[in-house]
Formats: sequence, C-alpha cells, structure tokens
Amino acid sequence: MATRIKIKELESGGLKIKGLELTVGRVTEFDEWAEPMGPTPYPTLMDLRAWDLKLLERYPPFYSPLSDFCEFCTYGKCDLTAGKRGACGIDMAGHMGKWVLLQTVMGAAAHTTHAHHLLNFLIKQYGADHPIDLGSEVEIEAPITRLITGIRPKKLSDLLDVVNYLEGQITHLLSATATGQEQNYLDYESKALHAGMLDILALEVADIAQISALGFPKGDAETPFIEVGMGVVERNKPVILCIGHNVAPGSEVINYLDESGLYGKVEVAGVCCTASDLARLSKGAKIVGPISRQLRFIRMGIADVVIVDQECVRADVIEEAMRVGSRVIATSDQLVGGLPNYTNVDDDIVVSKLVSGEELAVVIQDPVKVGRVAVKAAQLIYPLRLNQKGYNRNEIVSKASACTLCLSCTKNCPIGINVGLAVNMAKRGDQSLLLEVFDECLGCARCDASCPEDIPVLSVIDAASEDKIKNERFKIRAGRGPIKDTEIRKVGRPIVMGEIPGVIAFAGCSNYPGGNIAVAKMADEFAKRNYIVVAAGCAALDIARYKDENGQTLYEKYPGAFDAGCIVNLGPCVSNAHAVGAVVKIASLFARRNLRGNFEEIADYILNRIGAVAIAWGAQHQKAMSIATGANRFGIPVILGPQGVKYRRAYLGRSEDYDRWLVYNAKDGRMVYVGPTPEHLLCVVETMEEAMVTAAKLVMRPNDTPKGRMIKLSNYISLHRQFYGTFPEDLHLFVRDENDLPITMKDEILTLIKQKGWKPTETPDPTLLSRMIFGGR
Amino acid sequence: MSKAIAWDEAEVRGPKTAYILTPENCGKMLRRAKRLLIIVGGNILDDEYTKVGMVNIIERIANKLGATLAISPGVFRAFQNYNGTKYMVNVESVVERLLDAHWMGFDGGGKYDFILFVGGLYPFQSMMLSSLKHFAPTLRTISIERYYHPNATFSLENLSFEKWREGLEALLKALEA
Repeated sequence: MATRIKIKELESGGLKIKGLELTVGRVTEFDEWAEPMGPTPYPTLMDLRAWDLKLLERYPPFYSPLSDFCEFCTYGKCDLTAGKRGACGIDMAGHMGKWVLLQTVMGAAAHTTHAHHLLNFLIKQYGADHPIDLGSEVEIEAPITRLITGIRPKKLSDLLDVVNYLEGQITHLLSATATGQEQNYLDYESKALHAGMLDILALEVADIAQISALGFPKGDAETPFIEVGMGVVERNKPVILCIGHNVAPGSEVINYLDESGLYGKVEVAGVCCTASDLARLSKGAKIVGPISRQLRFIRMGIADVVIVDQECVRADVIEEAMRVGSRVIATSDQLVGGLPNYTNVDDDIVVSKLVSGEELAVVIQDPVKVGRVAVKAAQLIYPLRLNQKGYNRNEIVSKASACTLCLSCTKNCPIGINVGLAVNMAKRGDQSLLLEVFDECLGCARCDASCPEDIPVLSVIDAASEDKIKNERFKIRAGRGPIKDTEIRKVGRPIVMGEIPGVIAFAGCSNYPGGNIAVAKMADEFAKRNYIVVAAGCAALDIARYKDENGQTLYEKYPGAFDAGCIVNLGPCVSNAHAVGAVVKIASLFARRNLRGNFEEIADYILNRIGAVAIAWGAQHQKAMSIATGANRFGIPVILGPQGVKYRRAYLGRSEDYDRWLVYNAKDGRMVYVGPTPEHLLCVVETMEEAMVTAAKLVMRPNDTPKGRMIKLSNYISLHRQFYGTFPEDLHLFVRDENDLPITMKDEILTLIKQKGWKPTETPDPTLLSRMIFGGR
Repeated sequence: MSKAIAWDEAEVRGPKTAYILTPENCGKMLRRAKRLLIIVGGNILDDEYTKVGMVNIIERIANKLGATLAISPGVFRAFQNYNGTKYMVNVESVVERLLDAHWMGFDGGGKYDFILFVGGLYPFQSMMLSSLKHFAPTLRTISIERYYHPNATFSLENLSFEKWREGLEALLKALEA
C-alpha cells in the first residue's frame, strides 16, 4: 500500500522543485531478501487497472442477465430490459458488472475470513512465530504472496499483515457496489478481477498456514490413499461428520481421539473441503464426498454428531440433521444458525444436554472444546441412535405411490433430469430409472421442495439406490499441497516451450450436467495425452469417484507428480492456490523473472507463455466464480460447464479480429500478430467434448516453440477429429510457419490452410506491456 | 384462461416476455425470415429430440428457408450428411457476435434477422436468449423447444411430448406449404 506524492512545480525560498514524484512504500521489517521490490506491492484498486483494461480490450465481457430487473435500492425495482436505464441511471451492462463484482467479493470475502479464522486459531495453538515451512524442496513457499504483497512470509504472524490487507481491499471493493459509486461496467470488471486476485491470495494464506502448522503433506507426490464414498463410513462405531472448509474443529477431534487413546474407536468423516483437509491430517479420516453428498449422507442418519464450520454448508443441514437425531455443533461466527452459544459452558453440561436431547444443536466457537465435546457426545449418543441409522428402504420408496406425474420435480431440477418419470415408474414397481437418476443427481433436493404431494423425492432416489451407496468406495490420494521447486525446474522449460502440451487444472463444485463422470473422463483423457493434470476441491473428489475398466480410480492409475501424464490432487479449494502458484513459480524459477510486488509482468508472462487452462465443469458457488476471475487476472483462461452461464459473464475473444491479437515484440518494440492465443479468457461450453477440444486450443501461447506448437496442434487436431470427426476450421490461425505443423499431417494441413489464405507469421518475444520492450530497459 | 409460465418455474421475467405462438404460426413466422440463423445446442442428441427426429426437422427448416446452421461443436457430427450452410461454433461465441451491430454473419453476406434456438440445456438456452433480448433488442428470436422460453421473442408454450411432436409436424407443414 504505497503512498505517492507528486509535485508539479514548487518554489519556496531558495528551494525549487519541478516534476517530483515520490513513492513511499509500506514499511516492512528488514529482510535479507535480495530481490528488488517491483512496482505494485500491496496493490490497491487502481494499481493494476491498466492491466485489467488490456485484458478487457481483448476479452470484452459478454453478459447474460439472469433477471431483467435491478432490485438494489428503494427506487426499484427497475426494469433494465433492452437498453432501459434504472432510476439511479444504471444500465444493464453496469448492473451486470455490479453483480459480477458482488459475486467475486463474496467469494474473496469467504476465503479471506476462512484464512483469518484459521490463522488466529493456528497462532493461538502453535504460536505467532511458528515458521512457514513447506519442506526442503519448496523454497518459494508463497509465490502468490510474494508476487502480490512483496513480502516473504517466514512465520504465521507475517500472514496477518496479508489478511489485514485483504480485508481492507475487500471493504473498498464492496463499497464500490453501493448505489452512487462505480458505474462503468469495465471498471466493475477491473474491480472484480482485483477481487479474484485477492481471493487467490487468501487461498494461499490459508493453505500455507495450515500445511506449516498442522503437518499436512508438503508437496509429496505419493501421498497416502484415502477412502472416499458414501459407503466408506463404518456404521458400527460412533460417527462424527465434519462439513465445510475450516479444518480447525475437525483437527481437534482427531487430536482429542489421539490423546485419549480413542483413535480408531470413533469414525471421523467429512464432506467437502474439510474432509479433504482431515485426510491430509490423518490417514484414518474418511471422505464421504463432495457437496453433492452432503444432504444425502445427513439424511441417512449415520452421523451421531455433525460439526459444521464455514462455506458450502447447506442452509438446511442443521434442520435435516436434527430430524434424524444427529446432534449438531456449529463452530464458526460465519454460520451460527440461530443456535444457543455454549462456548463458555462446562464440557460435561454441554455433553449432557446434547445426549439427553435437551439441546440438539449448539454453538461452540472454540475448536479444542469442540474436539472434546464432539467425541464424548458421539460415544454416548451412538447406542441411543442405532435404529436411526440408514434408510428404511421399503417405507421410503413406497412414498412414491403418491406421485401424480405432475412433473413439478422435473421442472425444478437444475440440470433437467426427468425425476418425475423415475418416481412415477417406481410407483408402478420399476425402480430402474431411480438408479440412473442417482448417478446424475446433484443432491440439491429442489425436487422435494417442489413436490405438491410432499414426496421426499431425494430420499426416494437414495433409498432405492441403497446398494449403490453401500458399494460407493473409491480411493483418492490425500492432497499434496504445493508443487516442489525441483518439479518446476524439471517441467518449466518443456511447459514454456510447449513440449508438455499444457497444464490442465480441474476446479470447482459438483453442479454437473450428467454426473461426475465427465470430469473424470476429461482428466483421464488429458493425462493419457501427457498433459499435466491437477485438481482441487470438489473436482478432485469427483475425479476419484470413477473407476476405469480395470477397477482403478485415476489416482491409482496415474502418478501424483507435477509432470506430464500425471494427476495431482492438490487438496481442498484453498489448494487451488498451488495451481496458480506453480505457474507463477515457472516464471520465477525457469525464466528468472522477479516476483516481488511484480504482478503485471508475471501475469503478462503467464498469458503469453505458459499453457495453463482451468476447467470448472460444475462451478456453482460464488467462490468458484471468484477463483476463476482471479485466474483470469493472472492470465489463465478458464472453461466453465453449461451451468456456469448463470455467473452471467464470460470474457470472450474474437478469433477473426486481427487487431486484438497484436502484441509487442519485446526485442524491438514492433507490433506482431500472434493469432488468437489464447482465444478466450472465460467461456462456457455445453459438452464434455467441447470442453476438451477448447482446452487443447486454449493452451496455445504466442511464445510456443515450433516443436511445442506442433505438439499442441497435434493434440488439438487429434481431439477435434476424435470428438467432432473433422479437422479444425480455424487451424490457419494457429500455424505460424510450416515448422509448426505435425509432420505426419503436414501436406494435408498445408493444403487446408492455404485454402483459407494462410500466410506465415513470425514468433515474437511477446508482451502486452510497452515497458517490457528491450527487456524493460 | 392460461398463464405463460417458464418450464423452469423460477425463470420469472418481465415485462418483455415471449409471445406464445402455435406451431403452425411458428412455421408462418419463420417464413418471414429474410436471413435465418438456426443455433443448435449441445443437447440435440438427447432422448426427447431424438424421438421427434429433431436433427431431420432442423435440416428441413434450413433447406426450406436457406438458413445457416450454427451447431454446437459436441453435436456437429449429427449433421455430417447435411449439405447446406453450416458452421461448428461455440454457442456463446455466436451469440456474442450477434450482439455486434456490425457483424455481417459467418459468410459476410449480411446480418441475420431471425434466430431460431433449439437443442440446448434449458437454463443455458434461456441465458443466451436473455443476452439477445437485452443487448440486441431488434433481433427476433424464436424457440421451438417443448417448453416456453420467456426470453425469446416468440416461443411455443409448454407442451406434452405428443402435442410437441404433432406441433412440429404442423410447423413443417405450414413452412413447406
């Protein structure tokens, strides 16, 4: 957060000043770090605006309004259809920009709050001076933090400075959404890009803090295999289920079990990212699955105690858990759920109230206390609830008999599954379609809410699928966290030169059209083709929930290194930071670019040279939107599945627009055409096949060597032919000269592209930044 | 008395919502198109479309009216035997170009004046129609889906499968008359 002083002209006494510009940076503790400070440490809302506007000029926002109205103030609601302005003067593009900013701020705020809560807890438990240590092979411990803030965190308390910065910026961004503040859609987008970047910084803070303090894996390729699936939780033991993203309470459950000699006598399981983190902490922790399993597992009544922390906790979980006799402990100020606060009440009293049922759900905001209370309560409640575990299959499925085939459930299914037909068939004795629906279902229960006959449709689907649920058992590698510097040194050159065709990162939630199988098949295809595949969050869990023809999950089939032909489970959502961090590290370790406070130069490097693409096939949450937008500011394109259209905004390029694809040649300052590489920054695709072919196209970069471009083109062409049955029509845009052409298809392609008027182009030293011409000299 | 309710009941829009046309009138309306673009979504091979032979219906409409097909890449293969004008294109990308008053179409031959949507996931298609409704308000859009699409200019109402199948035949009859 630098302060700038400008004096155009001043004459006072004998002193004359003209054209003075002074920048006073943030005062930081002396550090022997030799790297010079870049131009934008702790950037504010305006510091990277010029970079954003360059991106937005090439990739203008494309809006799809989800509503015709603005409802933000008492002038409204205002109809903004087809060019109308609201009473405050805003038009639909501005309104859409505001929505986008709000969503990204929500995401960034959620991750920042998570990081802050976690950091406070870890400092309390392990001390402010606890070192940031990601292992001996990870010297660049915090590439995002170094890049954005200009500091090199050495101890947990150093990260508090970063969190304070994040909270300040997020407040400013939220403020800009108030009526009468920002009004231009491009500036809303610039601010959204800022929010997204902050989100990725928050992710890194949260994950490096917990990895350092809790002893999580530090970049090990061969982390232990963990069981995942609704069938992996043992029902003949007390069960504690943790839901959310903050591992603190769950980690204290495991600590207490260890200390009290009860480890192995109580099942500890989780849903969503807390589950991924527990699996990093303890091999014995079970992962029920991604968010699509949350309500389903709760309804099965297997959990004796449910601990909810923060983020991605369904709004009906507490009510649903209590309905099946599970006891609930809410642990975060972000989700108190209207429950009484027992944080300062004696353990025995809380346990007694929970066991007796006097209180079915309480708030305890002390993770250590949560650990003790949850274990004690689970042990005592377990024998009292034996008859509440699992479905009474026949009783529940028989509720389908009330179905009138009104199709209200079908109409309300977010992904258009014909649930109504399946339920009606079950009414007539045929449950086969229910079993098919089970595989695709998101587990959202909108069908339940819509049923005029009060059929618990989701429970009917699950009860009919009981055998499938019991057999739902897969294996996933525990999240490994950071990518090692040694790995980056090995793959940096082949990635930048294009010889490894690209890094494909799977991220996001489980809002899939057609089940999780698509995300697994895509990961399989890219790993087979020697891309580096990484995954985090629910996408990483969903990749595990698929077995190939040999009965192996993809994590068993492929190694877990950051290398060609491998599939890496980075960890939970916050571990998405390591995917971005890896490409930032390539710029540092391979290209020797300075990271410190040097965001724009590194983002320009990534956009022009590193073939990384993210696929968020089932993105659902505001956090996924925020992470995607952050990745975009770093120069990483993102592909969303069809439900991603409801984020209301894409960043689309136009391949035929010549001027958009001009870059500076840093060697001599000339503007050079480089083709649409990458063509889009954020786009929505409709099918898995389209996602794969698009990803193979979006990994192309202006800097690819002829060999690298040849490999990338080979994959693009091959996938295109495999899925679409034709050569790409836009091939001429990506061939710079004949050396780029795959040798086996050279003549055929040359003929094709010459018909399109193709002419050779040059390969520059590409940059969008005029200050980088002649190496910035 | 009837109310026009979107298939996805939460898709409540207004005040500018689609006029409901009978299938016959859809056919007659399409005949008014001077330069028709048919945007084929990525779900065109789903069961319901297959059962009514939608690929064939699209080809017949396109042939009759000299329309251009903009086909979502994942289903392009379904039209491999179609010899008329067709392009494989990401649906968002083609809609983005339609917002540009200066875009002269895939062939540079002039603006499209009528856009027919079919074969997309309902919410996705609804959002594409919303983009056009808001940012290209003079462009006429029409949906021949089984379900009412409020963001189109013209749409069929929600129909039973049988009524839809019969309606599509009636549409073709009106078109080819």
